[in-house]
Amino acid sequence: MSIGNEESVKKLFTAESAKVDTNKGDAYYDELYTSCQKRIEELKKLTPLNNRVDFTESIEEYGLERRDFLRWASATTAMLMLPASFTPLVAEAAVLMNRVPVIWVELSDCAGNSEALLRSDGPKIDEIILDIISLEFHETLQAASGHQAEKQMDEAMEHFKGKYLLFVEGAVPLGMNGQFGTIGAKGETFVDHLHRAAEGAAAVVAVGSCATYGGIPAAAPNPTDSVGVMDVVKGKPIINIPACPANPSNMVGVILHFVLTGTIPELDSLLRPKFAFGYRIHDNCERRAHFDAGEYVEEWGDEGAKNNFCLYKVGCKGPMTFNNCSIIRYNEGVNWPIGVGRGCIGCSEPDFWDKYAYERPMANANIKAPTGGVEKTVDEFGLGLLTAAGIGIGIHAAASAVAGKREDGGEY
Amino acid sequence: MKKLQIKQLIEKIEGEAELDFTFNDGKIEDVKINFGFYRGIEEILRGKTARDALVITPRVCGICNHAHLIAAVRAIEDGYANAGENITLTSKAKDIREFTLICELIQNHIKWLYMTMLPQLESYLDKKSGENYAIKATYLASRITKALAIFAGQWPHSSYAVPGGVTCDPTYVDVMQAQSLVDECIKFFERVVVGLSLDDYLAIDSVSSLHKVDGDFGKLLHLIGDNGMSTIGQSYDKFIVFGDSILSNAGKSIVTNISNVDVKYVSESSQEGSVAKAVTYKNKLFEVGPLARGMVAKTPIVKSLHKNYKDSLLSRVFARVHEVALLLAHSKKLLAKLQLDELSCTLDPHSKLDDFEGVGIVEAARGSLIHKTTVKNGLITNYDIITPTQWNLSHGNETQQGIAIKAMVNSTTIEEATFIFRTFDICSVCTTQ
Repeated sequence: MSIGNEESVKKLFTAESAKVDTNKGDAYYDELYTSCQKRIEELKKLTPLNNRVDFTESIEEYGLERRDFLRWASATTAMLMLPASFTPLVAEAAVLMNRVPVIWVELSDCAGNSEALLRSDGPKIDEIILDIISLEFHETLQAASGHQAEKQMDEAMEHFKGKYLLFVEGAVPLGMNGQFGTIGAKGETFVDHLHRAAEGAAAVVAVGSCATYGGIPAAAPNPTDSVGVMDVVKGKPIINIPACPANPSNMVGVILHFVLTGTIPELDSLLRPKFAFGYRIHDNCERRAHFDAGEYVEEWGDEGAKNNFCLYKVGCKGPMTFNNCSIIRYNEGVNWPIGVGRGCIGCSEPDFWDKYAYERPMANANIKAPTGGVEKTVDEFGLGLLTAAGIGIGIHAAASAVAGKREDGGEY
Repeated sequence: MKKLQIKQLIEKIEGEAELDFTFNDGKIEDVKINFGFYRGIEEILRGKTARDALVITPRVCGICNHAHLIAAVRAIEDGYANAGENITLTSKAKDIREFTLICELIQNHIKWLYMTMLPQLESYLDKKSGENYAIKATYLASRITKALAIFAGQWPHSSYAVPGGVTCDPTYVDVMQAQSLVDECIKFFERVVVGLSLDDYLAIDSVSSLHKVDGDFGKLLHLIGDNGMSTIGQSYDKFIVFGDSILSNAGKSIVTNISNVDVKYVSESSQEGSVAKAVTYKNKLFEVGPLARGMVAKTPIVKSLHKNYKDSLLSRVFARVHEVALLLAHSKKLLAKLQLDELSCTLDPHSKLDDFEGVGIVEAARGSLIHKTTVKNGLITNYDIITPTQWNLSHGNETQQGIAIKAMVNSTTIEEATFIFRTFDICSVCTTQ
């Protein structure tokens, strides 16, 4: 999973699996619609799990208007890259989220993704999401603790065998025979715990930078020999939702997709759902116009910073990072790092720390531009990168970046 | 004399810990606290560029990440100052940093009240109300972190503070949005948490008027008082605060005697059988956190509680929730006085120092958080993170048991002891890093 060399970067950008197809044709969607309808009818017959609150009741209880809910549903439909005609189905699926059991385990982590989920996304959905998702087991959120909790998890795994979605937060430390991380009264290592929990799962969802690709714990010198879930769990469908923290919208999106279709969403070569990781931060960045115009922040606090210019030269990794932060943002969409003038750190890419190293400008990072040769300046680097992306808008942007420089007198 | 050893696993403390209790004649005599978890963040920091700490250290902890950011940026600024490059922050940058930090404290305390204290106490006393406290916690926490994110971009794990100030340049619209979120939080606090107006609540200055507190906080205080738990959980009555904040200035309080502190007397030592290091001040143990801040600041209601109940569980619990009121009131003032026309970041871009040593101190939700950085040739050669929980959970030394251990000693049941343990608002991931 290295993006450290030229070849793999090129592959990443041009591979068939990296292409996002937002229009698969009427026949495809008609068929999908019918199968989703069928699945929803099936799910309706099931009783809600774990005495979860009924969604419709919750809506009223929290004074949420039906209109707000439908607005959320239509935004989520768009996020999942489905045609607008799917909106009523997505709304129905949201109501049925309490029919799909979710088990959530925390390994070598900071609990940040759980914290993020606790203030999930959508208009007031955050208040009811905990009631809706059938979290059969979550160490931080559940009522039980100690032996009782362990029993509860074992029971949930047995009872929902083959049906539950396993959410994993945190890296898997393999060093010292896994002794850097143990869990439960028996002192089970994280790696054994993960194997056991994954065995009966319908699919495993790795949440956050640590669970997906090792994250900060795996940064050099990787003292605990930490790896991501996909390096440990084999023979199961794995969905990676990287980022630090992972965006709750994307977590809910994956659950919703599973409820709606009974399948996992379409993934890219790094096992990330394309609905969330199909485009780069850069493609939809609010500061993109300044990149195109060659207007950059050179140092924090300078005139460029005051004018919300592009953060490329102060180390923004947006052009190399696939994620939908620029569209859905964070904390109920209120803002995101680039919105406050702090560039992207590339946290949804594998080995992001060692390869991207935020405080180094991108030209000095341990990644090479796909055009070959060692790029000396940020601008040249950007140019090569965008050309290789092979996307029309990218080429256009590169051209305008050059134009911007020319007008400016050429030197940067 | 009958000795008995029992192991108990404690969860929901941002990770988990194992407590090994030694009972003697039916009473707890000693407790060993173990964490089975290590990531090696300090090791990872070595060899990285100085500013990388701004992005790596927040990831130590999902719940007090912002405090780590502020400590990291202060450590670099202190280092610059020590190397002769003084940095003066604008009042705008200072106020924005303070505001975002306050938001983090508020969300932490509220989550602790609703997701730890109330449900745990109800289950310990076997008086389950069946209420969904998580929803209440989320209501306030999501609003206040949203206000935080307006300035910091995201929560958790923002890195918007940089040496010289902050990267954001908010507009009046942003400030208004934050104000309205703070107002919503205040309303919720008044209506649900204390059942009183914020002013009326803040006017409470002695135990005699404590009965006025209603709402969920009132319920918690009643549950503690009615079940004879007001005086349990006492420790050494020694408190320390290293950071200046609206809540308290730095200082230490021994019984009721307040004196100055200097961070240079803080020392860390490794503990047998634990990845968490012990920390002492002049080789002595101290409690950190909201009760420490209340004692050092001589907050009237905290002093009054202390007079009646010493450093008990009740005083400790009260001091933490009380901070929510103080912080909500202060956050409004901060937003009202933000000087938006000032600079966000003032560092001269041409002065990048490559060799320095600095200390960053911040009052985090659980107490004083200290970052120490040593930078040579632009790279970190050593980085020390001393977290609040390390103070409260140390194993102790030759003569004394640790702070939290002392509070649990003489308890007769594991259930009571673990509840006392939780009143310290333990953070496992911070302790072991």
